[in-house]
Amino acid sequence: MKWSVGTKLGTGFGVVLVVFLIVGAVSYYSTTQLIAASDLRKHTYDVLARLNEMLSSLQEVEMARRGYLLTGDESYLDPYGSALPKIDKELQEVKRLTADNPRQQQRLDVLSSLVSERVALTKETIELRRSGNAEAALQIVKTGKGKSLLDAIRKAVNDIESDELETLQKWTNEADNNGIRTKWTIALGTVFAIFLAAIAALLITRNIARPLQGLTTAARQITTGDLNIKISSNGRGDEVGVLANSFGQMAQSLRTVANSASQIAGGDLSVVVTPQSPDDALGNAFAGMSQSLRQQIRDLIEGANVLGSAASEIVASTTQLASSASETATAVSETTTTVEEVRQTAEVANQKARNVADSAQKAAQASAGGRKSTEDLTAGMRRIRRQMEGIAENMVALSERSQTIGEIIATVEDLAAQSNLLAVNAAIEAAKAGEHGKGFTVVAQEVKSLAEQSRQATNQVRTILNDIQKATTAAVMATEQGSKAVEAGEQQVGNAAATIQLLTGNVSEAAQAATQIATSSQQQLVGTEQVAGAMESIKQASVQNVASAKQLESAARNVDQLGQSIKQMVARYRI
Amino acid sequence: MNAKQILRERARALARREKSAAIQGATIEVLEFRLAQERYAIECRWIQEVHSLKDVTAVPCTPPFLVGIVNVRGRILAVLDLKKFLDLPSPGITDLHCIILVRRNDCEVGILADVIVGVRSISVDDLQLSLPTLTGVRSECIRGVTAESVVVLDLERIFSDPRIIVHEEVEA
Repeated sequence: MKWSVGTKLGTGFGVVLVVFLIVGAVSYYSTTQLIAASDLRKHTYDVLARLNEMLSSLQEVEMARRGYLLTGDESYLDPYGSALPKIDKELQEVKRLTADNPRQQQRLDVLSSLVSERVALTKETIELRRSGNAEAALQIVKTGKGKSLLDAIRKAVNDIESDELETLQKWTNEADNNGIRTKWTIALGTVFAIFLAAIAALLITRNIARPLQGLTTAARQITTGDLNIKISSNGRGDEVGVLANSFGQMAQSLRTVANSASQIAGGDLSVVVTPQSPDDALGNAFAGMSQSLRQQIRDLIEGANVLGSAASEIVASTTQLASSASETATAVSETTTTVEEVRQTAEVANQKARNVADSAQKAAQASAGGRKSTEDLTAGMRRIRRQMEGIAENMVALSERSQTIGEIIATVEDLAAQSNLLAVNAAIEAAKAGEHGKGFTVVAQEVKSLAEQSRQATNQVRTILNDIQKATTAAVMATEQGSKAVEAGEQQVGNAAATIQLLTGNVSEAAQAATQIATSSQQQLVGTEQVAGAMESIKQASVQNVASAKQLESAARNVDQLGQSIKQMVARYRI
Repeated sequence: MNAKQILRERARALARREKSAAIQGATIEVLEFRLAQERYAIECRWIQEVHSLKDVTAVPCTPPFLVGIVNVRGRILAVLDLKKFLDLPSPGITDLHCIILVRRNDCEVGILADVIVGVRSISVDDLQLSLPTLTGVRSECIRGVTAESVVVLDLERIFSDPRIIVHEEVEA
């Protein structure tokens, strides 16, 4: 079966369409005939109606004539005038309606001559009556010529009517027969057409819908992502076969792409995806994707390396930061302690400053007393000077006496030396004398010993005298200096008195200053306490800083670990 | 042993030493004096007397060791300074210096001494002969050195030293 799907569909629908066309044609034909029969019936009844109208008008004319004849009243002739044209008109109409029937035309011609004749008779009668010849007119009526004419007219009309009705009857029968035939034709034709349509639908369904259904199922599987599908064209060459082949190729291509994708997903980015064609959007996109993925992974590896080193540096920095923060905290703590000590010192200083202020007040009072004392001191100094002068005179005398003693000592010393030499000479003489001089030797020895003792004694005396002389000299000098010092002291006492006066003023100023200092110190204490409070706050902040730095450090360590993890993750990719 | 015994023994020992010193043979009597803080001695047999140094008259055109001449009881004597002779430092002459008058045959001179210590007796056996370290004039003029390092001068040699003869002529 090498038909294409279109041909198959066309054939199926064409057969059904032909059947329907036949049924329709038959129906059209019979309907046309029915309409024609209906028209004919209307035509027939129209003809019959007009003939009856014509007959009634003719009777009106007759009645008008009779009335006039009897009465001679002109008013009876009114219908006559109006009925005459009507009779003509109806006759003309009937003639026009039956123009297709020569037989009826012939009869109508006869009828029209009869009617003319009858009308002429009537007109004659009326004219006679009008001219006053009622008897003549009555005669004419008595002949019965009018009545026979009227009968003939009626007969002619009946013939025409019967002919028309007969024709009508014939058409009506034919139309009825046609209708029955048509009814059967429609019924049978419809059934046949339905039957044909059912067969065609069955065939098309079996031939097209089933494979399409298989493809739809496969497409649904692909939609859900299942690419493990088997599609066979069963050797069909039509569109469905081509569609199945194309579907199989598409699935194959998708499987290839999916395999590449799974390899990429497994981290192997070295897969090269070759597009099936230049228009292969998925393949091109996939190739581009893997290309850009490679690039991105490369960038990512570089980024991970940079991140790792940066994280390490951050860890180092944060560690330093943490240690610095700890040091800062320690320093701040020490500073706080120091500030606390400073505060205590300030407190002490404040206390001291108050004491100083009190002392300064006392000093101011004391300095007032001091001024009076300096006056007494001046008088005392004057007495001391007089006594110093006396001492100086005594010292000079003493110095002169010691000088004299020195001279005496020199003499004694000289004597001792000479005695010594004498003793030595004696000893020499004794030695020369030998045995006889032994005793003299002892004497000489004793003399020498005495001389030595006296020399030593004089030496001691000289030493003492020297000391005395030095002491007296020093005393004289000291006395001199003492006198000068006393004079200077007197002068200084005068100066001191002036100074103490100044001092009194200064001390009172100092007392005021000390009071101000005490006030300032109080303010300073308050300030220092504020500083201590601030330092306490700083200490807490610094402790928090340390905690934050520790947290930061651990966070940085996490970042570092993250960087290492990213590095390991990235290292799994093969580019 | 009680204290008395000890004292007795000690006294006995002292007595023995005394006896042994007396027993010792030849002793010489010397006059000890000082020259520039060193102790020297001269045998008494040469010495006439000691005298304090007064009125030294310097003599021109004489060697440095000749201090000058003095008048002692009418005798005019030359005064030698052994310090110059023995190459010892001499800080100068003061009134405190003494002269030792010595006589050899007819020659009588005065020897300048810084300080006269006194007469004492020295055992000849104690004298050690000239020390090997001494050289030149010092070794020639010394008779011996005692244990207390007193140098005993040999005046005989000093007088026989040719340098001591003063014979200088100065052209007018």
